[in-house]
Amino acid sequence: MNKLYIFLKYFFIVVWTVFVVAPFLWALTTSFKDFQSVNGGVTYIPWVDFEPNLEGWKVLIKSPAKGGVDIIEPYFNSLFVTCTASLISIILGTLSAYALSRYTFKAGFVKNNDITFFFISQRIMPPIVLSIPFFLFLSSINLLDSLTGLIVVYIVLLMPIAVWIMVDFFNKVPREIDETALIDGCNPYQAFLKVVLPNSIPGLIVAGMFCIIFGWIDFFFAFILTFTEVQLLPVKIVALNSSVTPWWSLSASALVSVAPLIIVAFIVERYLSKGNLSGAIK
Amino acid sequence: MAKIDLSNISHSYNPNDPNPVYALNPFSMTWENGNRYAILGPSGCGKTTMLNIVSGLVRPSAGRILFDDKDVTDLKTEDRNIAQVFQFPVIYNTMTVYENLAFPLKCRDFSKSKTDERVNSVAETLNLKSFLNSPARKLTADQKQLISLGRGLVREDVAAVLMDEPLTVIDPDLKFRLRRNLKEINEQYKTTLVYVTHDQNEAMTFADNIIVMSEGEVVQTGSPKELFERPNTTFVGYFIGSPAMNLFESEASSNDSVKVNNTLIKTHTNLSNLKTKNIKLGIRSEFIKIAQNQNENLIDVNVEKVEDLGNYKLITAKMGDFTIKSKVTRETEIPNQNVKLHIPAEKCCVYEDNKLI
Repeated sequence: MNKLYIFLKYFFIVVWTVFVVAPFLWALTTSFKDFQSVNGGVTYIPWVDFEPNLEGWKVLIKSPAKGGVDIIEPYFNSLFVTCTASLISIILGTLSAYALSRYTFKAGFVKNNDITFFFISQRIMPPIVLSIPFFLFLSSINLLDSLTGLIVVYIVLLMPIAVWIMVDFFNKVPREIDETALIDGCNPYQAFLKVVLPNSIPGLIVAGMFCIIFGWIDFFFAFILTFTEVQLLPVKIVALNSSVTPWWSLSASALVSVAPLIIVAFIVERYLSKGNLSGAIK
Repeated sequence: MAKIDLSNISHSYNPNDPNPVYALNPFSMTWENGNRYAILGPSGCGKTTMLNIVSGLVRPSAGRILFDDKDVTDLKTEDRNIAQVFQFPVIYNTMTVYENLAFPLKCRDFSKSKTDERVNSVAETLNLKSFLNSPARKLTADQKQLISLGRGLVREDVAAVLMDEPLTVIDPDLKFRLRRNLKEINEQYKTTLVYVTHDQNEAMTFADNIIVMSEGEVVQTGSPKELFERPNTTFVGYFIGSPAMNLFESEASSNDSVKVNNTLIKTHTNLSNLKTKNIKLGIRSEFIKIAQNQNENLIDVNVEKVEDLGNYKLITAKMGDFTIKSKVTRETEIPNQNVKLHIPAEKCCVYEDNKLI
């Protein structure tokens, strides 16, 4: 029984690992292939099955004049917009979430839970519903096709995620922690900054991770709200496509664009596994 | 350190309701500087609300709180210089044990040397010295509660240390030692300690004044001896003592005697001004003994059960429909069936409408 259990456990782990890793291996090998190798049947092992070359990667940094797409500037634009919007969303979202978790708000029939739901409901709407209002809004304040405009829109999109995660997290942080800090001599702001916030780092990391992922992968708003001045990575990658699908450069760009998320996932996983969340009370 | 006056305090969690429910009914009380108090009562009787009002976490619906005659009712928690320890350990788990203990001093800008001295002294008292540099979150539940306790004791000038069932998670051995430590700290530093508990033994062994509460009401305040020997109400008689006080439905027979199951029992209570017929006789099982040479206040009972509880024997007997419990020494010979028990008149409490006459 025990052996069967171990066998099944490892079997499913292996299956799952193959399922997760195979697309990356496929993308990695394809990024080093050329037209011939891609269309010449399924091959995996470089130098044996096919002759690797760097064409797929070079396209990404070559200027359009030389037949490339130059994703460097869009790449840094994406990094800047995602990080800035995530940071601001986390700061604003955390403050809102703390207030929603610890204080009672009441305006007619609207109470704390309704306000929290209002934040979440922003994400329930299909993005297409928001596209025209966002377009008109950015156009009216002259921020269309600009990084600042994108940051504003992304804050609107990411803050509900931060509020949603952090409200739930703060609700799980016992009130006695705040009360103890007050008794120990902190004012409410110090209690939040010195005691509650350091205890909430795992929640902040989870919220930050989701904000970064959702910000980084957004194509829709980046496509609608930018034209020529500013471009973000997902839009630029789509621009790679042509009548003959360049699988090699698409694969290379997919790997490049997923790299920051993999790095974030590694950092976050190591931190979360420390179990900093447990043991604040009891 | 301060004298704490609670003047006409009452509290409702729904004060704007047309029929507010009061968690605390109006009461007044003074906690003298340097004394040890225990607030004793069953769960939900308003003990924690009372503590939270004193620490400022809850503002009372009515009444004033005075620290050394200064009104602090509207003063914020952080400005009251109170320490409070909760039922479950609350620690700052991103800090070390030292940082946890030093936190209340840091918030009040104490010097490094003073902080060091106080933290070391408290850590010594609570046996935490070897853990000072460990992350607080890695400690066991009872060590964490010691940290909570330590944060309460680290300030010497604190107005009072309020403890809300602080030893619940601590094992019995350590519990006993800690109670003794707390008493020593109180005697040494003259810190006012207020200890909330539902465990009468804890209250009796710790405090020199016990406040008994029931359903939002302060039912009696007094020394452990007073509460034990002269409970103000049948509730206190029932709640304090193990086993609970023997209580018998009875009727007045003369100015100082009651009749229980047709047996006349003399008391030292004046029964001439009784207003109702709802009379109960209360007597502690510790005071009921097997009759020797006495010739009055004797009752005939049938012994039902004798339990040997280590340092004493507990007799459970029947007198008609009434059950009587009596605590006797282990050496006492107990006849198998019919026994005469003696009820000392001076230890009898008579209750009219459940209140002591």
